[in-house]
Amino acid sequence: MTEPLLSVRDLSVTFRSDDGDVTAVRGMSFDVMPGEVLAVVGESGSGKSVTSLAIMGLLPRSARISGSAMFDGKELIGADIKDLRRIRGKDIAMIFQDPMTALNPVFTVGNQIVEAITLHNDITEKAAWERATDLLFQVGIPDPKRRIRLYPHEYSGGMRQRAMIAMAMANGPKLLIADEPTTALDVTIQAQVLQVIRKAQALTGAAMMLITHDLGVVAGLADRVNVMYAGAVFESGSIDDIFYRTGNPYTLGLLGSIPILTSRSADKLTPIPGSPPNLLRLPAGCPFRPRCVFATDICHDAEPDLFPVNGDGHSSRCYHIDKVVEARAGSTA
Amino acid sequence: MTEPILEVTDLKTHFPIKQGIFRRQTGTVFAVDGVTLYVDPHETLGVVGESGCGKTTLGRSILRLIEPTSGTVTYRGEDVTSADKERMRELRKEMQIVFQDPYASLNPRMPVRDIVAEPLRIHGMGRKEAYDRVGALLGKVGLMADHGNRYPHEFSGGQRQRIGIARALILDPSLIILDEPVSALDVSIQAQVINLLEQIQDEFGLSFVFIAHDLSVVRHISDRVAVMYLGQVVELADRNVLYESPAHPYTSSLLSAVPVADPNAERARKRILLEGDLPSPANPPPGCRFHTRCPIAQDVCRVDPPELRQTSEGHWAACHFPTAPGDSLVAQVQRLGRDLRLVEAREN
Repeated sequence: MTEPLLSVRDLSVTFRSDDGDVTAVRGMSFDVMPGEVLAVVGESGSGKSVTSLAIMGLLPRSARISGSAMFDGKELIGADIKDLRRIRGKDIAMIFQDPMTALNPVFTVGNQIVEAITLHNDITEKAAWERATDLLFQVGIPDPKRRIRLYPHEYSGGMRQRAMIAMAMANGPKLLIADEPTTALDVTIQAQVLQVIRKAQALTGAAMMLITHDLGVVAGLADRVNVMYAGAVFESGSIDDIFYRTGNPYTLGLLGSIPILTSRSADKLTPIPGSPPNLLRLPAGCPFRPRCVFATDICHDAEPDLFPVNGDGHSSRCYHIDKVVEARAGSTA
Repeated sequence: MTEPILEVTDLKTHFPIKQGIFRRQTGTVFAVDGVTLYVDPHETLGVVGESGCGKTTLGRSILRLIEPTSGTVTYRGEDVTSADKERMRELRKEMQIVFQDPYASLNPRMPVRDIVAEPLRIHGMGRKEAYDRVGALLGKVGLMADHGNRYPHEFSGGQRQRIGIARALILDPSLIILDEPVSALDVSIQAQVINLLEQIQDEFGLSFVFIAHDLSVVRHISDRVAVMYLGQVVELADRNVLYESPAHPYTSSLLSAVPVADPNAERARKRILLEGDLPSPANPPPGCRFHTRCPIAQDVCRVDPPELRQTSEGHWAACHFPTAPGDSLVAQVQRLGRDLRLVEAREN
């Protein structure tokens, strides 16, 4: 049995606000295995980005974090900043939605990639530049020898995203955390960048945590999926478990909400009623209960645990898994 | 044969690029550059394209929120582009718009009731009667009548978009231009608003111009779809025809690039990867604007801009070498003996 690369247990993150404490992540537990792509899916406020920022130690000091995140045998939560810096950008690298948050506008792209390389490796300046040029070539930047000397603003949006991916690949990371990596891009550019991400992952053999709201991107890239709602994992399973053997009402609601490009159907969509909960005042019991068509009295009494669904490693936070599975089977038959 | 409710003919909207202390014009952005289309009563025309293709400028130019440079827009046979101010005000009762960002388009200092009533008041209706109308309408868009006393910040994104829709409906228009009405919303809320739009279309007998970049949403809601590239319509057809047998290589590439939320479908698909980035609308390529990225471009495409021609009944494409029904872009590329970057949509 292989050991997980990243093992998160009971992670909680609370922010102070004028209206009271907001718990953005509530007792998250999950594993990322070496080489796999784990998608973390959820809508705004579900806690998907906060989770990754907590793991990376990038949350403001005012955030209260508890729980554990073991990466490759090392505890990340509460780790010394010096230790974190040795890991960040080397063993764990991040790809953001907006590349300008990762690229410094006053240095050339080459300078920044070279810095990332020399920071973690005992390597000559010349060799680092060669490696950086090669990385830009790998991510499909045309004429990398010339472009490596340009500034980020001289790149197009898609090229900046590639440059950031090149930087993330620079030190052969074991884990890539990609937070909405293609959300800001046009669809033809998104296709290019997704291909580059896939290639980067194949070349480095890294595992990936892909944070996204786009179920299309998930369907094309992920091995396993965590569906998040109100700061907790609501369903976890393989890509086929989540899409075809859905065991959670929220996941089912998401799938019913999106029109499918290849479908002729003009039938009404089946949206989730209501709005996402206010994290300041989570409803009693299951936080999804007020919007859930399967809800009964028991859902009011206590929040369900993650219960196993048929199949290995498939679990759902719901008391009515059987009914959901049945409903899904009926809708895809 | 029904008369179209809206006809747009060779519409152009160009913006000057001004630079230097004398604000001399140093260039032109050809945001909309010769668009011709029509919308039938009770119909939804989808307009899709990537950023900078001119779809938003097109929507605003139709309503003259941005003054078009040339071309005509006619509403029920009447020339909108030459209407005077007074007449334009009357016409705007008939033609409304809903914007993408429901927060930026609602005055934060006004209660919702006044925001929705404002168009009625501008057109001279008394406060009491206007408020009654607003109360009834808020119910139709899925809000409560007492929501009228609240301010925009008290609402979620989806509710704000419902307010924007109520404001567009209050003057009882026949045509609504929807500019990315659901793209700022979370998936679960997006579906609610799409259903609401379909419902009010039936109830009020509306025509929609639905502008969006999400091709799945556009297919779902539209009757016909226009695809724009760098200021021009490159293809226009009934939704199923356009999505199942696209004639323009840009449409084919665009459709193949969209990730489908169905892992089995992704496993079976191959993706056409277009090379390069979108050219700037300030400096569009000569000839066919798509030729710099087109996998089947030939000499004629580099010099001679193709016109929007009918390839079959109701199916229009602006291409010298449109894909015939039953043929495919991939096969066309192969017959030319060229390479096409095809990748697995999902590796197994």
